[in-house]
Amino acid sequence: MNIRATSARVAPNAPWRGRSFASLQRRFYWYCLWPALVVMIVITLLPTAYLVLTSFTPLDLTRPETQWNFSTPILQYELLLEDRRLHNSLWVQAKLSFWTVVLQVFLGFLFALLLNMQGGLLQALRTVFLIPMVLPPIVVAIIWKVLYTPDISPFHWFMEWLGLPVASLITDPDTALMAIVIADIWEWFPFCMLMILAALQMMPEELTDAARIDGATALQVTWYITLPYLKGVLMVAGLFRLIDSIKAFPLIFILTDGGPGTVTEVTNFYSYIQAFNFSYLGYSSAITVLLVGITLVLTWAVIRLVGWGERVE
Amino acid sequence: MPQSRPTRRTVLKGAAAAAAASTVGFPAIVGFAKEFDGVTINGASFQHVFFNYLKEYIPEFEEQSGMKVNFNTQAFPVYNQRTDLELSTKGSALDVVNVTFIYTGRWIGAGWVENLDPFVNDPNMTPSDWDASDFVGGAQSSLQDKAGSTYGFAWEAGAMIMGMSRGDLLDQAGVGVPESFDDLINVCDKIHNQERVTAFVADKLHHWNWIPYLMGHGGRIFKDPPGNLTPVLDTPEAAKAAEYYANLLTSYGPSGVLSYTDDQAMRAQIAGRSNIRTQAIGWMTPLVKHEDSKVKDTARYGLMPGGPAGNFPGSNSHGLGIPVGSKNKRAAWEFIKWAMSKETTRRIALEKGYSAVCRRSVISDPAYRENMTLNGQDVASIYLKVLELGGKSGYMKYRTVPIFPQVGDKLNKAIERVATRQQNGAEAMAQAQEEAIADLRKAGVEMDV
Repeated sequence: MNIRATSARVAPNAPWRGRSFASLQRRFYWYCLWPALVVMIVITLLPTAYLVLTSFTPLDLTRPETQWNFSTPILQYELLLEDRRLHNSLWVQAKLSFWTVVLQVFLGFLFALLLNMQGGLLQALRTVFLIPMVLPPIVVAIIWKVLYTPDISPFHWFMEWLGLPVASLITDPDTALMAIVIADIWEWFPFCMLMILAALQMMPEELTDAARIDGATALQVTWYITLPYLKGVLMVAGLFRLIDSIKAFPLIFILTDGGPGTVTEVTNFYSYIQAFNFSYLGYSSAITVLLVGITLVLTWAVIRLVGWGERVE
Repeated sequence: MPQSRPTRRTVLKGAAAAAAASTVGFPAIVGFAKEFDGVTINGASFQHVFFNYLKEYIPEFEEQSGMKVNFNTQAFPVYNQRTDLELSTKGSALDVVNVTFIYTGRWIGAGWVENLDPFVNDPNMTPSDWDASDFVGGAQSSLQDKAGSTYGFAWEAGAMIMGMSRGDLLDQAGVGVPESFDDLINVCDKIHNQERVTAFVADKLHHWNWIPYLMGHGGRIFKDPPGNLTPVLDTPEAAKAAEYYANLLTSYGPSGVLSYTDDQAMRAQIAGRSNIRTQAIGWMTPLVKHEDSKVKDTARYGLMPGGPAGNFPGSNSHGLGIPVGSKNKRAAWEFIKWAMSKETTRRIALEKGYSAVCRRSVISDPAYRENMTLNGQDVASIYLKVLELGGKSGYMKYRTVPIFPQVGDKLNKAIERVATRQQNGAEAMAQAQEEAIADLRKAGVEMDV
């Protein structure tokens, strides 16, 4: 099409007359984008802004006068500094996040390597391994509640039959967090496995073939070729799991209720107690803002530290 | 305005109705056009056998009134959290709620539930023979405000008693029903793990189960509730009581007892896996009455054991009320009026064997007394004795203050820490005290500290 001829037919008073194509294109993109932006602002940014505003008030649902009371705006944040139970919950959160993320990515990687091999059985197993991930979290929690309750648990019956009775794992402070970690890994390592497996199947075979021709062992191929190739996807999988681990709730709610004592009480759960058991929405909002801040900083730090990996052309 | 002329069909309908009325009486006319036709009300409570029984009768009420009743029950903490949130918004999702004992001060004090006096006092809505004064005063007191207005009618007067699923094991060990804390330990020592039955069991609601042991040791929760809500948890008595109770749980309870719910603990007893439990009577009568019970012939009952400072068995009451945000208050009252009527209460007590009723006329009924004679023991007398004990000195006042949920949480955590040997009694209770004070400050409570 002759552009000059086309523009010559444009009416002299058309609003886009005299503008460059790039500028028109930008404007067009903005027009396309704004409905989505409005929706995002309404459903994401406004509630977040409300959360931040609430954190500057002592909002307590049983005391209506505390709503929109900004007379002591930083009081809730000062209370955070003195709250030992909150500090404990942050430490519990750190332990839970560390072990679940590391082990889920590690197991996901191992299983992805295994399932990347050819074979009918392995193909079938891929689907089986995905089952925990697609179950509703509350169902997963109930499954593990049954397994961890000595009266009704096949695991406990079996151990007793072997003459090796095991005390309840969820009521022992030395094992309660481990019990949550195990259940969380069972539920979510397939997610990492799936991501890594997808990346492995995209990996050019020339890379490993060349290494093998050069005499690299399987372990060397994995360490020097596969792992660097997967760096980006490992980081993304780890980040997803890190963010999700900070949102941990159903397993803790059903299995331990944060106990015994506060051994499994993570910050997210503690914030929930403050809001929904005690109605301290102002304080709970301050805890949540802190948690959002920590998540953002951690994400930024991980990306800076590990990088996004290298694109293989 | 033009008047519509009666058609032949309407005349025939009217004649048929008049004929029916003349033969079967007035209810046929009422059935013809029910006041609440098309109205749907939503009710909620925590799970309890009372509501299992009540639900069986609800179709009859729906038939009589014309309204539809959706009544849902959830686990105790879940119900309380959801309803607390719903009431705080003054929303209209619920028309009838259970006013939970530990939330009575909070929900009534915050004006989240409706004053029922106008409904009761209006003869057009409530006939005089419904008789609000028939409810046991002790059970109703927590459902009233300082001015005496009523915000709920009690369906349960919980009275903590001691239930033993395997009384025969006590006989075999040559011990009687324990009457003191020392006795209880002695008995547990002798019967624990006999025939693979643990001596003791409890659910994880320590802030209910443990308090009689605390008070029996001479401890308290608050300085002088409801006037002075300064926590007094860091006392030697509280530390001693915490260690005593933690020892009961860990030395004589089943593995994992710290995670037991109400229902789990009851199941452990009726399956004959655990023996002694101190809990509200509603959880104890199933030892004999529950169809799955394997201990019907060996169950035994007694008063909660006393400590050096006396005997303080817990008592409480839960009632049905109406949220202020309900858009169907008239229909909601009709439902409460029916559910709490003498007739419905009597049927649930006598036909279903429900024990914790709150209407005097039913409790004093010889049929009820007979029904509450379990394995030859007059359990009704134990029940009434506990209600009297609770009413006498008002030692249960601690439980209905608006900030009890916050303090109760600290107690649960403290007992768990002692039972799992993370802390000793003194350390755990000192931490509970510190955390309770910090939380009450957030609620704007004035304290002596």
